[in-house]
Amino acid sequence: MDIVKGYEEEFNQLVDIYEKNTDDKSLRNSAVATIIVSGNKVVGLNSVKGMHVSSKVRNDGLIMIDVEIEDNTIIPIPVHLCTGFLKKRGEQILKFNYIIGDNVKVKFKSHCILTKVEKLHHYMESDMYIGKNSHVVYEDEHFHDERGGVFVETITKMKIDENGYFASKFYETKTRVGRINVVMDIELKNNAKANLESKIYGKEDDIIDIKEIMRLNGENSSGIATSTVFATDSTKAHVVNEAYGNAPYARGHIECNEIVKGSDVSVSTIPVLKVNNEKAELTHEASVGRIKQDQLETLMSKGLTEDEAAEFIVNGLLS
Amino acid sequence: MLVLENIKYSKNSNNIINGISMKFEEGKIYGIVGNNGVGKSTIGYIIMGLSDYKVNDGRIILDNEDITQMPVNERAKKGIALLWQEPARFEGITVKNYLTLNKKIPVQDVEEALSLVNLEPDKYLNRFVDKKLSGGERKKVELASCILLKPKYLIMDEPDSGIDIMSLDMIIKIVDYLKKRGTGVIVITHRKEIAIQSEYSYLICAGKVFLEGTSDKIVKYYEKTCDTCGHINYAEEN
Repeated sequence: MDIVKGYEEEFNQLVDIYEKNTDDKSLRNSAVATIIVSGNKVVGLNSVKGMHVSSKVRNDGLIMIDVEIEDNTIIPIPVHLCTGFLKKRGEQILKFNYIIGDNVKVKFKSHCILTKVEKLHHYMESDMYIGKNSHVVYEDEHFHDERGGVFVETITKMKIDENGYFASKFYETKTRVGRINVVMDIELKNNAKANLESKIYGKEDDIIDIKEIMRLNGENSSGIATSTVFATDSTKAHVVNEAYGNAPYARGHIECNEIVKGSDVSVSTIPVLKVNNEKAELTHEASVGRIKQDQLETLMSKGLTEDEAAEFIVNGLLS
Repeated sequence: MLVLENIKYSKNSNNIINGISMKFEEGKIYGIVGNNGVGKSTIGYIIMGLSDYKVNDGRIILDNEDITQMPVNERAKKGIALLWQEPARFEGITVKNYLTLNKKIPVQDVEEALSLVNLEPDKYLNRFVDKKLSGGERKKVELASCILLKPKYLIMDEPDSGIDIMSLDMIIKIVDYLKKRGTGVIVITHRKEIAIQSEYSYLICAGKVFLEGTSDKIVKYYEKTCDTCGHINYAEEN
């Protein structure tokens, strides 16, 4: 692990918080590729064979990180991307540029450690190109301060080339959301596949916006986008799922489940399906409402109280 | 003893259950028999205390305690359980979690319950109780859950529905197993092979106990008369 001189303490603080929240000790392991950002600095960097990482910080504070993975590279251990903010207030702006070669297999584990901030705007923009026959998994987990002062914006644009596969999991279920705006826009070429999943647990006056777009431009391309939001108290949640079937035999399915608990909750979902090729097929499922009564009563008939049953169901949905 | 005294239940101005009285003892098998739509399942839901099934009149007594107004989870704690005809599905919850409900139940008990319902523990413990389970598999998981609850009284609502014909023997064995364990089993069915296993049965018609007695007598009457009867039942919700 290459810890940037002078930032050892920040590195250790972030890693300690991460380990406390996850029991994962990977960040200190030299066999693991890692990129660790604190505030507007890269404080730790470790690469592995076939992967090249470079970073620079612009004068205006924007952190630019380029990740390139060579053709035919298989990275057996997940690559960790850790972004943290240890001050109480501020703004963090990151721009990631990923170029994944052909025949690559890689998994990214991204975590945002924002547990100590009172007020923060965290903005992350990513461009990703996934080469032919490559297999990429991206898991994104957030740990926020419980006071709700974090505003996270993540905008991802992606192109998946022929026979490529991409799966993402965006989870913000363990700590307070604050305000979150997630946009993911994916273009799929011939035989490419994508599977997007997001799960968010809103509390108090959290604001949640999710927008997932799948452009099925290649023949036989396919994608599934599933969003699950559990909105409590006076949470506001708005989910938009869009799928465009632009090529023969393109198949897309979008699904949004918003479960509400509390009379001041405001949630909505908008599915957009547009077919521009007669051989394309798109489907959607959506539900907005309280926890299903038959689920509650099934568990209550085993002795759980209504609150225990609801918690059991929601833990399953958000797991 | 579990006693239903003159139970009446109506919904949307329809009289569904019209003054039913029944008695059940622990360690015995009972049948509630009748055609579709006569109110059999409704009786099961009323005993369990589901929220849409509050009675208009009558009492439910469990071991000398009036439980008529008791909520469903309290009744469960007192020892009443329900095998749902079509059990709900749960995303993200494994069979293991569902069966234990996050309580400390020995793994061997969970494995034994799964084996009793012909599900191999190694294959099923980590599967999810979601849409990917077939109807039959889901029903068997529910049956395993009921076995683990060790209830005083188990209401089995059409236990064979959704289960393949080969599993009928398994259901019959489980009913016998529960009886030997001291559970009072209340089987709601219109299937002769299951009804005949009961020691005492109630034949339901139009929300009333039309006939009661040994299962032999009830099944014979049901086969002879009810199958061909043109009587229209309005007991269930239309």
